[in-house]
Amino acid sequence: MMIEALIAVALLGALVTFVAPNRIAGKLAFAISLVPAAISLWLFTAFDGSGNALLDGELAFESQTAWLEIGDYSVSWFVGLDGISLPLVVLTTILCTLAIVSSWTPIDERESQFYGLVLFIEANLIGVFAALDFFVWFIFWEAVLIPMYLLIGIWGGPRRKYAAIKFFVYTNVASLVMFGSFIALVFGLGDSVTSFALPEIATAMVNGGPEGLFGLGGTALASVVFVGMFLGFAVKVPVVPFHTWLPDAHVEAPTPASILLAGVLLKMGTYALLRFNFTMFPDQVELYAVPIAAIAVISVIYGAMLALAQTDLKRIVAYSSVSSMGYVILGLVASTQFGVGGATFQMISHGLISGLMFMAVGVIYNATHTRMVTDMSGMADRMPIAVGILIAGAFGYMGLPLMSGFAAEYFIFFGSFGSELLAYSALFTSVAMFGIVIVAGYLLFALQRTVFGPYSLETDYDVGRAPVHDVASMVVLLGLIIALGVAPDLIFDMITDAIDPIIGGER
Amino acid sequence: MTVDVQYYVLLSMAVFCIGLFGVLTRRNALLFLMSVELMLNAANINLIAFSFYHGNLTGQLFALFTMALAAAEVAVGLGIILVLYRNFRDVDVTVPTTMRW
Amino acid sequence: MAGLATDPFGFAPAIAVFPLVAFVVALLFGEHLPKKGALPGIIATAGSLAISLVMFVAVGGGKTHHATLYEWTNGAAQSATGVETIAFSFGILIDPLSALMLVIVSLVALLVHVFSLGYMNAEGETGLPRYYAELGLFTFSMLAFVFADNLLMAFMFFELVGLCSYLLIGFWFRTKSAPSAAKKAFLVTRFGDYFFLIGVVAIAATFGTVGFAGEESFVTAAETAIDNEATLFGFDAQTWVTITGLLVLGGVLGKSAQFPFHTWLPDAMEGPTTVSALIHAATMVAAGVYLVARMFGYYALSPTALAIIAFVGGFTALFAATMGVVKDDVKQVLAYSTISQYGYMMLGLGVGGYVAGVFHLMNHAFFKALLFLGAGAVIILMHHEQDMWEMGGLKDKAPVTYYTFLAGALALAGIVPFSGFWSKDEVLFDALIVGLEQPVILAAYAMGLIAVFFTGVYTFRMVFLTFHGEPRSETAEDPHPVGWAVKAPLIVLGVLAALTGLVNMAPVAHVLGVDITFLEFWLDGEYGAVEGLTYHEYSETVAFGESYVGSETVTMLLSAGLSLGLALAGAFTAHTLYNVPEPDRHMTKLGGAYGLLRRNYYQDEYQVWLAEGLTLPLARAADRFDQTVIDGVVNGTSTISLFGSDRLKRIQTGIVTNYAALLVGGFIGLLLVLGYIGGWFA
Repeated sequence: MMIEALIAVALLGALVTFVAPNRIAGKLAFAISLVPAAISLWLFTAFDGSGNALLDGELAFESQTAWLEIGDYSVSWFVGLDGISLPLVVLTTILCTLAIVSSWTPIDERESQFYGLVLFIEANLIGVFAALDFFVWFIFWEAVLIPMYLLIGIWGGPRRKYAAIKFFVYTNVASLVMFGSFIALVFGLGDSVTSFALPEIATAMVNGGPEGLFGLGGTALASVVFVGMFLGFAVKVPVVPFHTWLPDAHVEAPTPASILLAGVLLKMGTYALLRFNFTMFPDQVELYAVPIAAIAVISVIYGAMLALAQTDLKRIVAYSSVSSMGYVILGLVASTQFGVGGATFQMISHGLISGLMFMAVGVIYNATHTRMVTDMSGMADRMPIAVGILIAGAFGYMGLPLMSGFAAEYFIFFGSFGSELLAYSALFTSVAMFGIVIVAGYLLFALQRTVFGPYSLETDYDVGRAPVHDVASMVVLLGLIIALGVAPDLIFDMITDAIDPIIGGER
Repeated sequence: MTVDVQYYVLLSMAVFCIGLFGVLTRRNALLFLMSVELMLNAANINLIAFSFYHGNLTGQLFALFTMALAAAEVAVGLGIILVLYRNFRDVDVTVPTTMRW
Repeated sequence: MAGLATDPFGFAPAIAVFPLVAFVVALLFGEHLPKKGALPGIIATAGSLAISLVMFVAVGGGKTHHATLYEWTNGAAQSATGVETIAFSFGILIDPLSALMLVIVSLVALLVHVFSLGYMNAEGETGLPRYYAELGLFTFSMLAFVFADNLLMAFMFFELVGLCSYLLIGFWFRTKSAPSAAKKAFLVTRFGDYFFLIGVVAIAATFGTVGFAGEESFVTAAETAIDNEATLFGFDAQTWVTITGLLVLGGVLGKSAQFPFHTWLPDAMEGPTTVSALIHAATMVAAGVYLVARMFGYYALSPTALAIIAFVGGFTALFAATMGVVKDDVKQVLAYSTISQYGYMMLGLGVGGYVAGVFHLMNHAFFKALLFLGAGAVIILMHHEQDMWEMGGLKDKAPVTYYTFLAGALALAGIVPFSGFWSKDEVLFDALIVGLEQPVILAAYAMGLIAVFFTGVYTFRMVFLTFHGEPRSETAEDPHPVGWAVKAPLIVLGVLAALTGLVNMAPVAHVLGVDITFLEFWLDGEYGAVEGLTYHEYSETVAFGESYVGSETVTMLLSAGLSLGLALAGAFTAHTLYNVPEPDRHMTKLGGAYGLLRRNYYQDEYQVWLAEGLTLPLARAADRFDQTVIDGVVNGTSTISLFGSDRLKRIQTGIVTNYAALLVGGFIGLLLVLGYIGGWFA
């Protein structure tokens, strides 16, 4: 019942915060969000699962209750965690707490609604990572969009409406494609499944695959569904060429929303890819490995090139997320222990690092009211600690050893270089690795122009030291980043344990 | 003596067509409302006629429902017409088009 | 492992941990400490030096140490050679090479810390806690790199060294130039490290291990693969070893500033001079060459890779030396000399002269640290003036600085009996005997030999312009005094620069027939070594033939005579031109060549063009493409739907009558259609 408790605390907290006075909403939401964070950390220590949740693994904190009967299919409230989802849940609760803290300074209107929505999004995100029934999962999946749409649309920048609608419609259309594909798959599986429980469907897929539907044969249907679902999740991840909603959303979103968007919402896409496409369709993964790897490499290089051309700090980080997510796809398609494990590790690592980067950029923005690289110079002079952390975060992004980014990227590169499933794996990996040079290029170039050099600022705001609470939350993130970089086995062991059934067998 | 059911149907058809004609041609909201009432009552005639024909009371029951509904509808409709008049100084249904898009 | 009390190697991790602690202390409490954080750094590096010396003595006593400290992670290897699992760990390997290097690094780091008291603290710099924290982190990274027992750990600390050099080069971040130079240093070396990382990944994925030493090492695995004539990643094992070796070499070329990645190093002079001393002598730049020495067994398997190393080394030695001749800034001259000297080390290692390369690495560490710290002293004397044409005549006003600097210069130029002579001569001798068999190496040797002359010229040009003649500016007439913190490190290094050559006087040993080549014995495991990591095992693996002019002794003397003669000729040229009261700018008379050299052969220009003229416009074009085409399609979809619905909504007129008509029409239409299907009209 612990997962229900997590979700319930966040949901009730959202309600309470929603009606609380604006004055205390921030502190109240922070206090409430500490509860899920504490529970999830307790879950982390008490984790006793093993194997993959979808492939006959031992689930931790499992809970299943029959809910509905739809035709021949039963729907149940089915949640549980394995080594893949647990770290993501912990990431979610921690980032939500920190996002709330980092909202204290910039959010100064409709506070109770803002913090209520953040807690609401937290509940749904936990649901996405914990749900093991397709219907329950899909409800959470869609419900995440609404609060994020409102966060961008109400508290966003000047073009917030455009960005919010683009975000909502784009990802929602993608969800439609994915939903249609998955339902077609469930019907295609015929009598071998009687519920929407993901483990049952995954087992049916691995044990034979669909019989066919609408005149399509089983293999053809599986391929169509695989492609449809890949496209659906590809928007969410996002991979090139479905990435254009991301920079707009990031630029317009308020800092805390950016933290959640980059830190957790993008991981929904990769998590779903791992859970659905790369777990349920081993044959199709093999079939489409080369084009997927090509998309991954293009995302890495093209995303990094785009970041190089930007002058808005948030756009830089946004495009670099596209690049980083490309690594995740590359690791997934490699289908090796280090490849898939590294991809999962990268989800966590990128969540922490991009969260830190957005936080640091937000702190600078709060003080200067500009994010334009060209508008400022020498910020290190005025905000030494915040800038120091920004530099540390930037190096984390570049994959500096002993920080989590390096561990993730190294695992992915090592896993994909020798992949037997992926043809030309060494070539793909080598090209993708060039991303580490470009990322250093654009981040250092941006740092050189903004935080170094003689102090100057185009806007007439008074720049003082960063607030203590912002610095504290950034230090927490930096600590986690370094901890995972020095000791990746904190989570890598449980990840690989859950990965092994996916890549098991002769592959 | 009993009247054959086809005459009832003919009557109902005639009333319905009068109502339809009114809906399509009248611009006065009151006449419009009355035309709608005619169409409803045409349906009622049918219900009762066939109920009698089949010796089944369900149709009459539904006719009662329809009448209750019609009464409610008239109340709402007249309310709308009053508001219409208050806002536009007219009860012409072609005038208030501002709410279309 | 026995208890700490009985086993000296139990203390080994502390060598790196001390500076790490100093980093943390200086970072957190530096502002409140006396000397702004210098003391923790000095204590820590002194501690590291002490333990390093204990290690050195222990290795001399025949012991070595190889242990895994901590397992980073492990997992399935999928290696091409069939190894099933792989563990990535942090471990310590203390053998003659690393013990020697640990002493060098910690000694130079200690002296740099002490010198900083005079150079930074006395000058009233701000941001000193940051400075000392970064120095501590730098020392930590380098020491951990030196005792790394596997390639991945080496790579990780190699990168951290790069980070620290970035931070320290950009120490004066309020200027425009320092951040730019720092960025350039990091980016250029990162470009090299890109290849290095591919190499690490490739080696790990091929052999399923990244260890340097022992049965489990990738060197052993590569030997086995070559013996089995295995096919790896579509290549035969020999070719694959060459490819991976060259990939790793990318990182080496970047960090050791070899052609074409040398451009960052002269710019890196933007950092404080103390940092330059540390970077050039013992840490960043040394890391590259040290890595080649560390995994020399791997390169020894591939004659092609070795020949490339040698050729690049020889070429860089000459290339950089020519540029050093025309520089006016004392630090710039030293920067180019560093590039050139590391070229010699690469040449030495590339021809299989493992001892010669390491010997030169050691000597260079001392005399280059000396020269940089000397230059730092000169800069203090001159109130932060670095142009040599503003100096002159400092000889009498600062005798300690002069004589120690002179010792360094003699060592750099390779004048007998100063240290540089012995090691440079050995490098050239090794190159010559291999070169007589291999034309490529002979070319590399020739370039190295010519570079000796230029080294003599620029070194003594620098000495004469700085210290001799008449003072050419007011500050030179009345220099700022320097304190003990400046003089003490200079004296220590001066003595070392003069004497360290004596540990391996190969020509003397040959002529007199006495066993005084101590460094060779040291590296050859006479005292203690890890199996497989000794000079003669490397020599057995290296596939180069050797031949002599006459006998070995004759060749040796010939080589020594040639290099000494050229060095003296260079020094004499400089003496003639510049050791006069009012020297002229003779180099400007070189005409076109002068311009070419002043512009550094346009190497910077093309690399800046690659970044700013090619990559940046490409990025902007990609951005435009993204905004117009890709986002255009997305927005176009929305525009089309909006346009379509705008047309469609016009049927909603707002007139109830129209709706009723549509309703009726639709109903009738539906009726007709259903009727048609139902067969009414048949």
